[in-house]
Amino acid sequence: MIPAAFPEIAWAALAPELVLVFGAVALLLLDVQFKPGVRVLWRASVVIFAVSLALGVWQWNAATPDGEPIFGGMLIFDRSAALARLVVLGVSIQAVAAARSLFAHLGNRAAEGLALVLLAAAGFILMAASQNLVMMFLGLEMGSISLYILAGIAGDGVRSDEAALKYLLLGAVASAVFIYGAALVFAGTGSLDLSGIGQFFARSLVLSPAVLLVGIGLLTAGLSFKVAAAPFHVWAPDVYQGAPAGIVGYMAAVAKVGGFAALARVLLSGFDSFRPDWAPIVAGIAALSMVVGALMAIISSDIRRLLAYSGVAHAGFILTGLASGAQGSSSVWLYLAVYTVQLVAAFSVISVVGGAVSSGSDLSDYRGLYRRSPFLAMVLSVSLLGMAGLPLTTGFVAKLGVFLSAWRGDLEWLVVVAVVASAMAIYLYLRVIVTMYMRSPTSEDPVLCDWPTAWSLGAATAVTVVLGVFPQPLLKLVESAVYL
Amino acid sequence: MLTLLVLTPLLGAVVVSLVPARRRELHLPLGMALSAAPLGLAGAVFFSFDVGEASFQMVEKVVWWEPWGVSWQLGVDGISLGMVALTAVLFPLSLAVSDSISHRRKAFVVAMLFLETGLIGTFLALDLLLFFVFFEVILVPMYLIIGVWGGKRRVYAAVKFFIYTAFGSALLLAAIIALAVMHASQTPEGLLSFDFLALLALDISPTAQMWLFGAFALAFAIKVPLFPFHTWLPDAHVEAPTAGSVLLAGVLLKLGTYGLLRFNLTLFPEATVSLVPVLAVLAVVGIIYGAVVAIVQPDLKKLVAYSSVSHLGFVVLGIFALTSAGLQGAVVQNVNHGLTTGALFLLVGMLYDRRHTKQISDFGGLATPAPLMAGFFLFMAFASIGLPGLNGFVGEFLVLVGSFPSLPSLTVVAAFGVVLAAVYMLWAYQRVFTGPVEGAENRKLADLTPKETAVLAPLAALVLLLGLYPGVLLERTAPSVEAILDRIEQNTDYEAPSPGRLADVFATASEDES
Repeated sequence: MIPAAFPEIAWAALAPELVLVFGAVALLLLDVQFKPGVRVLWRASVVIFAVSLALGVWQWNAATPDGEPIFGGMLIFDRSAALARLVVLGVSIQAVAAARSLFAHLGNRAAEGLALVLLAAAGFILMAASQNLVMMFLGLEMGSISLYILAGIAGDGVRSDEAALKYLLLGAVASAVFIYGAALVFAGTGSLDLSGIGQFFARSLVLSPAVLLVGIGLLTAGLSFKVAAAPFHVWAPDVYQGAPAGIVGYMAAVAKVGGFAALARVLLSGFDSFRPDWAPIVAGIAALSMVVGALMAIISSDIRRLLAYSGVAHAGFILTGLASGAQGSSSVWLYLAVYTVQLVAAFSVISVVGGAVSSGSDLSDYRGLYRRSPFLAMVLSVSLLGMAGLPLTTGFVAKLGVFLSAWRGDLEWLVVVAVVASAMAIYLYLRVIVTMYMRSPTSEDPVLCDWPTAWSLGAATAVTVVLGVFPQPLLKLVESAVYL
Repeated sequence: MLTLLVLTPLLGAVVVSLVPARRRELHLPLGMALSAAPLGLAGAVFFSFDVGEASFQMVEKVVWWEPWGVSWQLGVDGISLGMVALTAVLFPLSLAVSDSISHRRKAFVVAMLFLETGLIGTFLALDLLLFFVFFEVILVPMYLIIGVWGGKRRVYAAVKFFIYTAFGSALLLAAIIALAVMHASQTPEGLLSFDFLALLALDISPTAQMWLFGAFALAFAIKVPLFPFHTWLPDAHVEAPTAGSVLLAGVLLKLGTYGLLRFNLTLFPEATVSLVPVLAVLAVVGIIYGAVVAIVQPDLKKLVAYSSVSHLGFVVLGIFALTSAGLQGAVVQNVNHGLTTGALFLLVGMLYDRRHTKQISDFGGLATPAPLMAGFFLFMAFASIGLPGLNGFVGEFLVLVGSFPSLPSLTVVAAFGVVLAAVYMLWAYQRVFTGPVEGAENRKLADLTPKETAVLAPLAALVLLLGLYPGVLLERTAPSVEAILDRIEQNTDYEAPSPGRLADVFATASEDES
């Protein structure tokens, strides 16, 4: 129902996103008017993110587990949306802190770059909080378009252009698929509102749900593209390889958070009653992603492609949690929170070693990194071991959570596929670690990183290990983000 | 006390890592001194252990990851006691012989102490997830020890080691998860639990038992390693530095046999009884295969490595004999093999440090220039073969006596393993230490230094002690072993063949008296 009067705006609930959006505009205006140095702009963007995060933490307590619809039912800041916000803002700070040299390289485009980073974060947070499929599409596009531009922003060379173009074209197709799916769902239920859709199923008997099933399938396919799950993953390696190293980690992380949040909301809150129909498909995508991702990563000789394929495998693990239904949603959040931190840390190391812009990231550049920079080698090792799911890292806790919920959701076969895939994946992470610690370096020059990068990397490593040993607070946090 | 025992090596690792890397002369002695602390604690545990008590002792439990029912739970019984003591004994000794580690010595000592925490923790863990965490975490320091400080093909060997064991433990994790979920569905509260003692109460269907047994057994069979999963072992052993080989053979492999004994037999009794033929046959194949391959090895270290395959076959045979004597023999042989093979690897390492070769054909007549070394080698070789009066005899004899009533024909075949052991050990001794001395390097070979003697002497003393007075270990293991058999007999229609139980033996003894 559309209220006749001007809707009451929940300023407080939306404060973190408003800070991001107005911050982005302010950055652009500041740049036009005063031409401040890159460092000033970079600092300003970190401050904007920090303020937004502080507001997000404040709003965490205001968010009830079930949430209150705002903006006429367009958005809902329940616990899972509030958690998505914290994760996105956390990794944004982590990534931007480590990307100062990238923005320094961009020179007079730095303000645009930073504004796009802020807008992308806002877009994906809104996507995660969408209660309506059209709002979800708007958030998706706001985030994705920012990312398309970021992919090509360095604009130096064919690789970067190829990455941006490929991302744009395939991304646009995926968006179209998504919106078509939304249209079919509307045709089938007469509603775009997810809770409305849920209520529709509660009171109507759907005799021929073919149009709905196609709609659900298209929504799932469109979002699977955004999170790079197989077989919708082919863009990922090229984009990860061609986009500026300093920001790839950020791009991958926020797109995954937004995509999985939306997927969870669509499948678990809108179409929960269709679980018997979509669960096998999601489980199939999960199994395929884990196996294809691990196998392709093993044969990659470029570390960025390797991480792209491993990201496909991780998407599979997260989908494993999703396929197990509502009780698996906390494990999805746990995995996202844990993996994005490791992903951003790994790409930050890559941007230090290979340069913030250049696309040279052959595995052989990492030979003997231990001798050139023990710190970076340690950080990358911890991140990779975390991704491999070794005990005493957060990665193990996350994998265990996903496996537990999948087993409880009667997907035993998927757990077996997952454990075998994670054992295969160990080999590929080990290969990088072997290269860093056990091969002699091609050059003896030390690799240096600036202090914000060092702080960002150190914090990520500490989080990965400390929360890996004592995950209790993390488990409590995600437990409140269950769709029930 | 057990928590302290697990954490002291970790604390030691922290202390060593605080010492500047420049003071390289400090790292090894400090590491040795720090590993004396767990040795003392392990000794205290060993002697304060309540003899005659079958259940877990000194249990400590702290909730760790509350929502998932994971707890930090440690306890010791007769089966883990010997392994903990062995681990604590071998660490200071292997650190003492690591002078030849020339680069990144600090990191080496830290890795070793980290490894010690992992190993002791694995033996003491009473929570399946905690066990798994320790079981997995061990891979990292061991991988580094092989891959950074190993021989020429160290990276290949290290990666192979890691991949093999990681694959094994992947399915183990799935099986542990299955048990935890089963606990949630079978208890009224519906809570997950990884508590071993709580999981023992589960009612698991025979089919589920078979699958879970398979997953557990695969992980442990790779670790043992049971034929045909043994191919990582020779590579890892040959490339590992001496300390690595000692710990690999002495303790790491025992995780496999320990796991079979601790988890497979107790959690899945029905599957155990029905799968006895499979595992016993694999064990016997391993005994003979390992021995035959050991005979033809030109490389001394590889010879000792393959002898491990053979000896651990005896341990597995003893376990799946499902008789008191067999299980006792398995537990004791676990410890014995750690002592003798550990000592043999130390000796091979000492030879290698002097000559930088492990090829048997490069040696000859070394007893003339190095009589002390020859003496120790022969002593340990005899212990390994199972000469009465030394520890190997006790273990292998018990295994054979225990498995004859239940698996007579396999036992007959396995007994040939003892003969073959004599062939490969004595033939190796003959080629290396007897005959005329050839080559200037062999002629000038230095005998054991006082320090090396001091390292080998305690092992020799323990070999002799356990050979002459095995009761010190057996009286501690017997109640726990009996409890496992009781559990199997209660839960299945299996009955240990006579005289398979300790009670049978005592009954016949008292009849003889009357």
